[in-house]
Amino acid sequence: MTDIPVPAPAAAAAPSASGLPAWLSAVHPAWWILGFLLLFMPAMAGDFVLVQIFGWSFILGMIALSLMFLGGYGGMVSLAQMTIAALAGYMAAVFGTSSVAEISLGLPWWIAVPIALSIATLFGVVVGALAVRTAGIYTIMITLAISAAFFYFALQNYEIFNGQRGFNGIRAPVAFGVDWRAPVPFYYLTLALAAASYLFVVYVGRAPFGLALQGIRDNARRMAAIGYNVTAHRIAAYAVASFIAGVAGILLTWQNGQISPGTAGIPAVIDILVIAVVGGLGHPIGPFLGALLYALLRTFALDVFSAFGFESTRFNLLVGVAFLVVVLASPDGLVGLWRRWRDRRRPAAKPSGGHR
Amino acid sequence: MSRSLAGWRIALVALAVVLFAWLVLAPWPQGFEAVFGRKKVFLNAVLNGITLGGLYFLVASGFTLIFGLMRNVNLAHGSLYLVGGYVAYETVEATGSWLLSFVAAFLVTAFLGLLLQWFIFRRMEGQDLRQTLVTIGISIVAADVMLWLWGGGFYQIAAPAALGGATQLPLISSVKSNGDTVWLTYPIVRLVIFAASVVLGVAMWLVLNRTRLGMMVRAGVDDRDMLSAIAVRVPILFMLVFAFGAGLAGVAGVVGGTFQSLAPGEDSRFLLVSLIVVIVGGMGSIPGAALGALIIGLAEQLGSVYAPTYAVALTFLIMVAVLAFRPQGLMGRA
Amino acid sequence: MSSVAERLSATGTANALELRGITRLFGALAALTDVTISVRPGERRAVLGSNGAGKTTLFNCITGDFLPTSGTIRFFGEDITSFPPHERIRRGLRRTYQISLLFKGLTVVDNVYLACRGVSRGRFSLLRPRRGDAIRAAAESLVEAVHLTGVRDRLVGELAYGQQRQLEIALALAGAPRFVLFDEPAAGLSPTERSELVEILTALPRHIGYVIIEHDMDVALRVVESVTMMHNGRIFKEGAPQEIEDDPEVQDLYLGGGHG
Repeated sequence: MTDIPVPAPAAAAAPSASGLPAWLSAVHPAWWILGFLLLFMPAMAGDFVLVQIFGWSFILGMIALSLMFLGGYGGMVSLAQMTIAALAGYMAAVFGTSSVAEISLGLPWWIAVPIALSIATLFGVVVGALAVRTAGIYTIMITLAISAAFFYFALQNYEIFNGQRGFNGIRAPVAFGVDWRAPVPFYYLTLALAAASYLFVVYVGRAPFGLALQGIRDNARRMAAIGYNVTAHRIAAYAVASFIAGVAGILLTWQNGQISPGTAGIPAVIDILVIAVVGGLGHPIGPFLGALLYALLRTFALDVFSAFGFESTRFNLLVGVAFLVVVLASPDGLVGLWRRWRDRRRPAAKPSGGHR
Repeated sequence: MSRSLAGWRIALVALAVVLFAWLVLAPWPQGFEAVFGRKKVFLNAVLNGITLGGLYFLVASGFTLIFGLMRNVNLAHGSLYLVGGYVAYETVEATGSWLLSFVAAFLVTAFLGLLLQWFIFRRMEGQDLRQTLVTIGISIVAADVMLWLWGGGFYQIAAPAALGGATQLPLISSVKSNGDTVWLTYPIVRLVIFAASVVLGVAMWLVLNRTRLGMMVRAGVDDRDMLSAIAVRVPILFMLVFAFGAGLAGVAGVVGGTFQSLAPGEDSRFLLVSLIVVIVGGMGSIPGAALGALIIGLAEQLGSVYAPTYAVALTFLIMVAVLAFRPQGLMGRA
Repeated sequence: MSSVAERLSATGTANALELRGITRLFGALAALTDVTISVRPGERRAVLGSNGAGKTTLFNCITGDFLPTSGTIRFFGEDITSFPPHERIRRGLRRTYQISLLFKGLTVVDNVYLACRGVSRGRFSLLRPRRGDAIRAAAESLVEAVHLTGVRDRLVGELAYGQQRQLEIALALAGAPRFVLFDEPAAGLSPTERSELVEILTALPRHIGYVIIEHDMDVALRVVESVTMMHNGRIFKEGAPQEIEDDPEVQDLYLGGGHG
């Protein structure tokens, strides 16, 4: 696949002019403002906005981030990320506690969560191993087929997945003296994990593993000819991405308090692709932008829609049209839009500037 | 080494064929039925699987034809299927003619295919990720528009009365205790549709292998550079093939709407079927689509009879096995 | 797998590259027929021949881009016939490509860094290289060696053609190469760039041997000590540069082929 929008490489940290360490002064002021806003959000926003808008955006953003990691860095657009997240959520329900006492094993969270993450990561590795046997467009088709198979399997299997009804009554635990299901702690939990995975993906992009992944995206054959085991690298990328998606999947289950086959249905799988593409596969921030937009639309579009006299059920039409417009007009999403706007404003600036 | 391996393979296939023929043709012994259930159930599952395979072939052959010639990935193929079905339903409601509904569905979906090729794919040649994304967007929009127009209910296209009954097949269903043979009866409409898909498949094969048009298409599949050398108007050829492939999806929608039903969600189901069939059979291969459709159809039906919970898992396992051992698909070229 | 001791002793005596009876079929078409070549460690050889003579196919078999239909390939005594490409590279084999196969979305220095990292440990490392990282430093000096310091932070996709060719060579010299395959390194270069290339090739340490495919006789014959002529997938002549140049049969074939 040659038409994947390519993340611009980070420019080497500029020598620091002030007394600050180089990495600190390299952080753009806008990031400081964003950081403060997010940290003090609970002082400004109500519980609904905290959990339903921001918490949800962070979670969806993480799942889309795992897709961006595979697609933007590795050139592998996987539609299995929502499925892997859902599997982690299911496993957290099966090994932890839920209202379905005949299946849930009721293990404490510090055992159930690691088990769930391990299973999700392992599943991601298997998906990766299957998907990387072929290249390019086949990846999308194979991962879509795998996701659909998982959906139908979860729907029909009652022994582990409890069929159509799935699990409910799954709650974030009380740990370290904090009730994580309360809105403000849950907000900070999702914020911390989303920020951690974002920083991780940014950081790894310049580490040997991430660079090698981008090399494979640009030219897999040449990577083999300079000593890399391309297949192993691709599968390892699936493992990393699946871990991130798994963490997000458990958070999503905690947030909703339930998980059912619909969580990983085809529409949900496609939604993650829409989020990642609309936000932009070119930079790790893209998925979070896309997720915020999606969460806002999902929450408020119905009101806006009925205000204009449309039937309130036409949400998918709106999403579909918006997605089409973005793909046709700016294939690299909001991030690409912003980059072009910035480059036009500063034509003298370096053509391939950094993105701190 | 490879020669003796090929010998083994042929022997295994021959053994499987003989076993299958026995299972289908011979009356089952008492003890055998006690373990495996009644022969009638098995026969029905096999026939349902084969006829379902016919339907799957109709959908998947269009998909694989378009991909094979133009490397266009049309993830709105399932939407074309559903559009075809709804158009046929409306035609039957309005005119009462089942046959006319095929024509209407084919024309409408072929026209939509033309539009897709003209406005989307022609402008994005070689950009397969963008094609994928755009066609996903189109299928989201199409799904919602169809939901708007036809609602969330189930529709079934009424087959003509002449095809309504069942017929007796020369297959032994069971042998009564008094020695009488009971022959299997089977719905005519499914047989007719299956026969039609076989005829269509053979016709496609003949056109591809025996005509100048087919030669151009095949040359294009093998070597895209050659195509511009022998075909005068490549864009027109591409439009025709795309329209035909899209029309096949529409026809499949009529068939699916007749012996199954039409509802939201059927579009993604049949897109998935197309994907799995061509992954198993091999991208761009018409015989591969036929083989893949047969395998998936049989696996689904036999699976739903003998292992209802895991019918989907079985289909999936077949795909995984093919990917693991023959990533290019059973009939695909490496 | 031979023991380390065996491999070390083999290194002392064996040929750098030893091909025996290499045949490669594409369908019914034989791209290579029964090719047998030995190259000593440190030896520098040109492979000449018209288009379609099988030169690039030969390279692809040696580096494992695809496998020969029959025959064996030994690299410093070790049978590498069925090794995957990355295993061959890690043993000291390197190559450049006729069409530049570079990482266009990465910077020049990152391209070279990837090549250096590819033949060392830590390919999967999730940690960024620290200041003073040995591999980072090796990449920097390699960028300098191929005269690309001025564009080290540019995206490769933005480089001029000649610069991409120089980078192509840098990728092949990363780590500790023992033997390099150069596939038409001078194609499309200006006269100045060509003499720069000759300079880079002759400046290589003596222990690094190479095989070079080159249409430009002026370049090829200045940087090698032996020549193999190929024709229609077979070895046609072998000898010293002067012998080959003076050979009437070669002159017929080569000048008749429209190259030279």
